[in-house]
Amino acid sequence: MAEQSPQQEAFPKGSVKTYNLVEVVRGRTNMIEKGPDNTIFSFPVVAILELLITLGMSAVLVLFSLVKNAPLEDLANPLVTTDPAKAPWYFMGLQEMLEHAHPLVSGIILPGVMVLFVMAIPYLDNSRIGSGQWFTSPRGKKITLWTAIYTLIIMPAYIVLDNLFPPRELLRGIVPDFVAQSLIPVVILGIIVLLPLVLLMRSKPNAREVMLVLFTVLFVSAVVFTLSGFLFRGPGFKLYWPWDMPNGYNPLNNL
Amino acid sequence: MSILNSITNSRIWRSFFRHGWPDNPLDRSLIMTTNVFFHLHPVKVNLKSIRAAYSLGLGILTVAAFISLALTGTMLMFNYVPSVERAFPDIVALQNSVPFGQLFRNLHRWGAHLMVLTCVLHMARVFYTGAYKPPREFNWVVGVVLLILTLGASFTGYLLPWDQLAYWAITVGTSIASYEPMMGALIKKILLGGPEVGQASLTRFYGLHIMVIPAILLLLISLHMWRVRKDGGLAANDLDAAPLEDGQK
Amino acid sequence: MSTENTTPTKKISRRDFLGISWAALVGLLGAETAGVLFRYIQPINTGGFGGIVNAGKVDDFKRGSITQNQAGRFYLVRLEDGSFLALWQKCTHLGCSVPWVDAENQFHCPCHGSLYNQMGEVQGGPAPRPLDFFPVTIKDGEVFVDTGNPTQRSKFEPGQTTKA
Repeated sequence: MAEQSPQQEAFPKGSVKTYNLVEVVRGRTNMIEKGPDNTIFSFPVVAILELLITLGMSAVLVLFSLVKNAPLEDLANPLVTTDPAKAPWYFMGLQEMLEHAHPLVSGIILPGVMVLFVMAIPYLDNSRIGSGQWFTSPRGKKITLWTAIYTLIIMPAYIVLDNLFPPRELLRGIVPDFVAQSLIPVVILGIIVLLPLVLLMRSKPNAREVMLVLFTVLFVSAVVFTLSGFLFRGPGFKLYWPWDMPNGYNPLNNL
Repeated sequence: MSILNSITNSRIWRSFFRHGWPDNPLDRSLIMTTNVFFHLHPVKVNLKSIRAAYSLGLGILTVAAFISLALTGTMLMFNYVPSVERAFPDIVALQNSVPFGQLFRNLHRWGAHLMVLTCVLHMARVFYTGAYKPPREFNWVVGVVLLILTLGASFTGYLLPWDQLAYWAITVGTSIASYEPMMGALIKKILLGGPEVGQASLTRFYGLHIMVIPAILLLLISLHMWRVRKDGGLAANDLDAAPLEDGQK
Repeated sequence: MSTENTTPTKKISRRDFLGISWAALVGLLGAETAGVLFRYIQPINTGGFGGIVNAGKVDDFKRGSITQNQAGRFYLVRLEDGSFLALWQKCTHLGCSVPWVDAENQFHCPCHGSLYNQMGEVQGGPAPRPLDFFPVTIKDGEVFVDTGNPTQRSKFEPGQTTKA
């Protein structure tokens, strides 16, 4: 190694020039006011970390694959519908929603609004404060926690109550279908989603805190609806306990 | 060491790699800037951004799952014909007769679920760490598109075994799409290639699953990772910046 | 474009004009390609379901009966007045196959519990509209059902049936 010492300098004399000044742009770079003190070379540390993650994932996947086989049912038969007929698990939140409102509302409009909102988040909250920090601040952490608890309670309650007293059936023939199947669910869900935001507004939140509330409500709701549709819906798409399904139906076989 | 050095300084090595053995700052920089696979990474990273408790490694996990799915998927293609007569018997034969066939099918199935899961969790991690904030807005949007594409890749693959589970899941899934008032019926018709799930649907889903969606995914994943570097690395780096004054973007 | 180019004021330079023309041509090419691709991915009918199905002789169907045609994916309903109505078996909610349940005297979808009566009208459940129907034609005493043309409707009307 001793005779290689010139190579250990960062920019040894006579080395090939590897960069050029192409253009000068006015503005702040991402590294402005940052010292190089806290940085290390990516190679080999990052490469090794990535390799370890890949190896760990492969090991877990192989072990899991040895324990549990992928499901395979009978040959497809267009004449006989399975009971229940479920979409893949990640669409079960959507199918659960379809139980509670008209398909145009629950299958298209609400998910569409959700995706558009999620895409728009960085444009609605465009301050750089708190970037790179979990929940931004202790207050942000508290807001997220309480919103998550609120959603975890109210959404299952909504699913159960709406299932017991469905406006669609109770109001059939009394009010137009549009009111019973679209207007009422949208109003109820709208109130559920916006209620924590209204409460938060009293303490003059910043944009980040508003986003924390909205994203948490939507994210936890999506999880609740997905779990409800995937685990708690049995034959006839009725609600059962996952371990207490009739006809020997096991929701986990639908993975 | 002198043998190693004579190898890494040889004309053959140097024609492959434009850097020496990466045990010094210069070569550790060059390996990142001159290697097409490594160049998605920055030369130097902030210690904060590689802490497991910050990123949880979810993005890398998703990429690892994607690579694993591409490999196992290719294995499955060697023993599968996408026709309504052959698809189901092929899967049965794959499980019962092909050595390690069941293992590859399991790996592909569970890997697909894992990728959807890590993708969603990665999005939640990025949101809760505020890593979508400027200058990373566009990369967040790319990430949302990647999540939708991942769901599409998984959904199109779901039909291929051609069993009752697959058939009715796709029937229900595509029926949801048909409620979209303007393009819904058309999208469903084009996706299924007919009025109900049949041979045309299987052919179309197969083409989307093995070629169209993975190709777009590969392209967008590369863009996504490259943008991470271009936007200043992981957002944890920003913490070392001097505190910004109020009102300053 | 050309008149604009020859006006003495010369609002648009020759370079810009050529540039815009090229851009327009490339845009046109892209639109053409998109149109070709769109046409290319349209489904084609290859017989069987999606074509015209011969359901059988008129006299084989009793009045007030409901007969499933598996190949055509429809239920042929003969109403009390002797007219025919062909109902697509596909639930209008999420596309499951709806069986006719004799004991309940109605269509009962196993997926989400949608209920339809003999004419395919919604009696309960989440279905947003009655079962779709196929046009029926009667020729030389035989019933033909055009399964390529499912028709959506908001309620049952006598015009949807075909007199024998």
